[in-house]
Amino acid sequence: MASQSGMVDPAIFQDLQARVDEDTAVRDELKDIIQALEKHNRNVSFVLSRAHSTPVANLREVLKAAEESINTVIDDVSKLSQAASKLPYYKFNNMWSRQMQSAVEGLLLWGWLGGYKYDGGDIKAGRLLTIEELGEILKIPVNLKERDEFHLTLEEYLQSLISLVEELTRLARNAVTLGDYERPILINQFVKDLFAGFQILNLKNDSLRRRSDGLKYRVKDVEDVVYDLSLRNLLPKKG
Amino acid sequence: MPDETTECKPEQPTGPFIAMFEGFRKELDEHHDRRERIIKASRDITASSKKIVRNVGQPVPPFVNKSNAQYWETIQKQYSGIASDLQSLNAHRYAHNITGGNQEFIEALSFHHYLETQSLISYDEAKARIAMMSKDEAKDGDLQQEGSVVPLSPEDYILGICDMTGELMRFSVTSMATNGRLPAGRAKATPTSKSPAATEDADRMDIDSQALTSGDSQKPRTVLDDLRSIRLQLEMFEAPYGPKWVSELETKKMPVMRECVDKVEKALYGLTVRGSERPKGWMPDMSSDRRAEVESY
Repeated sequence: MASQSGMVDPAIFQDLQARVDEDTAVRDELKDIIQALEKHNRNVSFVLSRAHSTPVANLREVLKAAEESINTVIDDVSKLSQAASKLPYYKFNNMWSRQMQSAVEGLLLWGWLGGYKYDGGDIKAGRLLTIEELGEILKIPVNLKERDEFHLTLEEYLQSLISLVEELTRLARNAVTLGDYERPILINQFVKDLFAGFQILNLKNDSLRRRSDGLKYRVKDVEDVVYDLSLRNLLPKKG
Repeated sequence: MPDETTECKPEQPTGPFIAMFEGFRKELDEHHDRRERIIKASRDITASSKKIVRNVGQPVPPFVNKSNAQYWETIQKQYSGIASDLQSLNAHRYAHNITGGNQEFIEALSFHHYLETQSLISYDEAKARIAMMSKDEAKDGDLQQEGSVVPLSPEDYILGICDMTGELMRFSVTSMATNGRLPAGRAKATPTSKSPAATEDADRMDIDSQALTSGDSQKPRTVLDDLRSIRLQLEMFEAPYGPKWVSELETKKMPVMRECVDKVEKALYGLTVRGSERPKGWMPDMSSDRRAEVESY
């Protein structure tokens, strides 16, 4: 390249090239970890999807199996956290944000079904894992404000909550199919409470807003299930 | 639609998660406020940068510094106003909110720098300039903590330089139309020298300076030479696969940049072929789609 002029110091672009190449190397390094996480997330959701066709009485086994796959997810997240913590978080987080969300979605559903801190007795469903609890489980910081490190963001948590609501809506119907008329009531209340929470947020016109707009339809779906049950006098008598 | 879950007053939502969500609301509000401050600053920086470019591009160099002072000031105010919002974790969080302003400012800065020094401002110089502008709002630097400056990413710089070629094009064409020549630096003994001395004696890009002297190895560098060398560097630059800014670069900025160089080449062709017949107020014909090899006449 016979550059005819001294106008551009070639060092400028060599330096920029080096910087950009460095970023590419970082991305390549993270790619494998993120792919493994994605794969193990799928395992978790595969196992947990059995909850839709398993009566509560037999759920113990599902939760146990889920815990095994969850542990591999936790390992992956630790690896990711280690590799990514030295990087500017928001420069690269779009690489793993989706995978982190599905990891959290799995955990939230597992927690709701009663898997978290399960001590072997009766399974107690209906728990909402807080963002702090998720941080403990995944062994990562959450919702950082100043420190530039790997963490779980509030937005990711909120996105995952929406996914949880969607999953529970499905579960409400499927519980009825399994002859479980109590679960829809529990879900109904839970989903409403979460929806009430989302309603006090001032969301801007972003993806969180768009997805949370759909929450009211999920709430309605669950209400319809409860309505169908009550119409047929199938609701368990409170007492 | 039975979605009135808060059957009572919407003012007083109740439920087990409300307290938690109130915390979330506060954080999201802070986030949105910060983002909006940055977007607004970015817009103001963009507007002022455009004005600087417009003024600087006029063939009235002596006055440009004065009339642009207010715009530089505005930009400085905006940069220093948002510097604290763009620190640490937040530096990259809002990078795409400030990139527009940064790019536009780089365009203005590099164009201005080029007219004064006939060289391309480096990434580090540009970064240092923005750092400086985001700092000294008031003289008392104690108010702001160390290193509280608006960051400039390599991406912003490259995209800004792409835009700057458009200004060089406009500058060249205007000059050809009014003076009948391509702006060139003063003749130098070694125009290809990479030493800083090469730019020292040509500190001012002057339209009235000597025009091309044909067939001479000592001919001065012209804007077209410089445009070509920027183009060469940008074409040689290997953009990584994936990030968003790369598609912007490849689908939008690069084609426009090539177009700009083409336009100047075509205009110079027109000038070369029909130069002597040029009536007053003649504009170079840029609609010609023939490729002109201007250097080989």
